[in-house]
Amino acid sequence: MTTETRSLRAAEAVYEHPLARRERILRTAHRVIIYILLLIGAAIILVPFLWMVSTSLKTERQLFRYPPEWIPDPIAFNNYIDAWTSLGSIAPGLTFWRIIGNTLFITVLAMFAEMFSAAVVAYGFARFRWKGRDVVFFIMLSTMMIPPTLTRVPSFLIWRELGLLNTYDPLTVPAWFAWGPAYIFLLRQFFLTIPREMEDAAVVDGANTMQIFFYVMLPLVKPAFLAIGVLSFQGNWNNFEAPLIYLNTTQMYPLVLAIRFFQQSLSKEAPKWHYMMAMATMMAAPILLLFFMAQRYFIEGLTVGAVKG
Amino acid sequence: MTGDPGAFATYYPTLLRYVGVAVGLGILMYGLYRLLRLAGVKHEPATGFTLVVPWIVGFLIFVTFPIGLSFYLSFTEYNILWDRPKPLADPLFNYKRALSIRIVELPEGERPIQVLGTMEGETPETVRYREIGRFHWRGKEYVIGATDGYFLKGVWLTLRYAVLSVPLGMVGALGVALLLNQNVKGVGFWRTLYYLPAVLPAAAVALLWYWLFAPSSGLVNWFLSPIYRLLDMQPLGWFTDKSLVLPSFIIMGLWGIFGANTVILLAGLKNIPKDLYEAAAIDGAGTFTKFRHITIPMLSPALFYNLVTNTIAALTIFTQQAFIPTDRQDGWFVNWFIYNEAFNFGRMGYASALGWMLALLVILLTLLIFRSSAAWVFYEGARQEAGGA
Repeated sequence: MTTETRSLRAAEAVYEHPLARRERILRTAHRVIIYILLLIGAAIILVPFLWMVSTSLKTERQLFRYPPEWIPDPIAFNNYIDAWTSLGSIAPGLTFWRIIGNTLFITVLAMFAEMFSAAVVAYGFARFRWKGRDVVFFIMLSTMMIPPTLTRVPSFLIWRELGLLNTYDPLTVPAWFAWGPAYIFLLRQFFLTIPREMEDAAVVDGANTMQIFFYVMLPLVKPAFLAIGVLSFQGNWNNFEAPLIYLNTTQMYPLVLAIRFFQQSLSKEAPKWHYMMAMATMMAAPILLLFFMAQRYFIEGLTVGAVKG
Repeated sequence: MTGDPGAFATYYPTLLRYVGVAVGLGILMYGLYRLLRLAGVKHEPATGFTLVVPWIVGFLIFVTFPIGLSFYLSFTEYNILWDRPKPLADPLFNYKRALSIRIVELPEGERPIQVLGTMEGETPETVRYREIGRFHWRGKEYVIGATDGYFLKGVWLTLRYAVLSVPLGMVGALGVALLLNQNVKGVGFWRTLYYLPAVLPAAAVALLWYWLFAPSSGLVNWFLSPIYRLLDMQPLGWFTDKSLVLPSFIIMGLWGIFGANTVILLAGLKNIPKDLYEAAAIDGAGTFTKFRHITIPMLSPALFYNLVTNTIAALTIFTQQAFIPTDRQDGWFVNWFIYNEAFNFGRMGYASALGWMLALLVILLTLLIFRSSAAWVFYEGARQEAGGA
C-alpha cells in the first residue's frame, strides 16, 4: 500500500457516509460475535481437559476442596507413579511397563496387519476389472451396518474352539483379513485418482504386480496410507470391547482394561479420582501426541469418506 | 485369576501365529493366482480377485460364519459353561422371552408378581412376568409386566439416546462449521481444538465425565451452584439420578462426537464452489435463500454420512456404559446389556437372540435413512451425469 492510497483511505474514513458507517459497525459486530461464539465453544471443549490434567496432579485432600483449585499446590507429579503402585498392590505383576508393553504389542501388530491388508484389498478393488467386483465391493460396504454385538458370541465360541482364549490372537491375527471396511473404502478412493499411465509405464519397464504395488502405487497413496495408519493406531489403542471379551489374566491386560480393573476395585471405598485421572491422562497422551504430529492425516482419513465419496 | 505366565510367554506364541497366518495367506493368494491363470483367466481379473481374497476369507470366517452360527444359537439354550447348545422345545422361546408383555388388572391388595403369573408354553425354566409400570384406567388399576423388562428398558433408553443425541450433534456441528467457514482467522487452530475430544479414548472420556458430573464435588455442579442457590434447589445428581442418566449421557456424547462432525462438515463447506453463491447473489438471493438452496443441498452428502455413522454409533454405544455404573433396573444401553447377558450371566443363546434384534434395529434404521436420502441428498456427480451435457 502506498502512502497515497493510505491517505485516501484515511480521508474516506473521515468523510464516511452514515450508511457505510453503519454497515462497517455491523460487520465488526458480526465478526466479534463469531469469535465470542467460537471462544465459548473452545471453553466447553478445553475445560474438561484441563480439569482432567489438573485433577491428576492433586493430592487426595485437594480433590474435594471447595472452590476447586485449578493449579494444585503442591503439584503432585507423584500420582503418575503412585497410581501404578496402588494398582500393583491390588493385582501383583500389573506394572507400568508390562501394561504399556501389552498395549503396544496389540496395537502395533493389529495396526501393521490392518494397514497392509487394507491396502492390498483396496488395490484389488480399485485398479483391476473382474467379474463381480462391484457386487463384492457393495457387500463389503454393507458389512459396516452389522453391529459387533451380533458376531460377539459366535466369535468367542470360535476362538474357544481353537483353544486361543486368553491369548492376544483374537486381537491381532484377524487383522490380516482386512477387517476394516472403512479403511478399504478410503484407500480405494485414493487409488482411483491415480492415472493409469503410472502402471502402464511400470509394466513396460518389466515390473510385476507386487513391484508395481510396493514401488509405484503405495508411495503415490502415502497420505491415505498414513491416514489409515493413524486411525488404526487410535482404534486399536482405544479398543475396549475385544480385550474385555478375550483376555482374563490381569497381567495380560492392555491399558484400558487395567484402568477399568482399577476403577472397579476402588468403587467400594472413596474413588481415588486423582489416580484415575492420572491413568486417563496417560491413556490419552500418546493419542494426543500422535494427533498433534499427524493431524493432517487424521483429518484426511476422516473427511475422505464423506466428501469425496 | 489365572497365574501369570510372564510377558515373553504371552507374546511369542501370538507373534508366531501372526507371522504364520501372514505367510499362509501369501501362499494361498499366490497359489490361487497360479490356479486361475492355469484355468485360463486373464492376468487382470486374476490379479484383482486374488488381491481381494484376504477380505473374502476374512468375511467368510469372521462375518458370514459367525452370523449364521449366531442365528442358529438364537433358537437354542446355551450356557457359557456347556460344551454345546441344547435345543429348545419352543424354538422361538428366546425371542418371546425378550419381548413378551402382559397387561392385567390389579385387584386391591394383590401383589403384582402373583397377578402377572408366568410365561406360557414349554419353557426351559419358569419365567415370571415382572412389573415394569402401572396405570389407572376407568377407576381400575392395571399393571404392565414383561418377561425381560431390563431389555425393553435398555432398548427404550438406547432409542431415546439416538433420537435425541444424533440431531443435536448434527445441528451443533453444522453451526460451528458455518462459523468456521466465515473467513475466520486461524481455521486450522480452531478445527484442531474442536476435534480434540474425538481422538480421546472413549474410556478416558467416560471416566472424565463421571468425575465432572460427580454430585457433591464435580466441576459441573460447582459451575451450576449459583443457579442452584438462586432457584433454591438441590444440586443435580447427574449419573446417579435415574431421570438424569439419559441427559448426562447425551451431554457426554455430544462433547465427544461433535468435533468429528464439525471437521467433516467444514471440509464439505470448503468444497462448495464459490461461483454458485456469486450467481445466486446476482439473482438477488438473500443469506437465508443461499443457505437453504445452495449450502444445504451441496452439504447434504456430508450430512447424510454423519447421520448414518452417528446413528449406528449411538445405537451400539458400549464403552461409556461400561465405565459408568448406572442402575441396571433403570435400563442399560442395550449393547452393554447384551454383553452382560452373554458373558456375565452366561446365556449365550439368549444373548444371540438379543444380538439379532439389535442388529435388525440398526439395519432397519440405516436402510430407512438410505431410503429417505433419495429425497434430500444431492449428489453433484449424479446431476452432471443425468444432465449429460
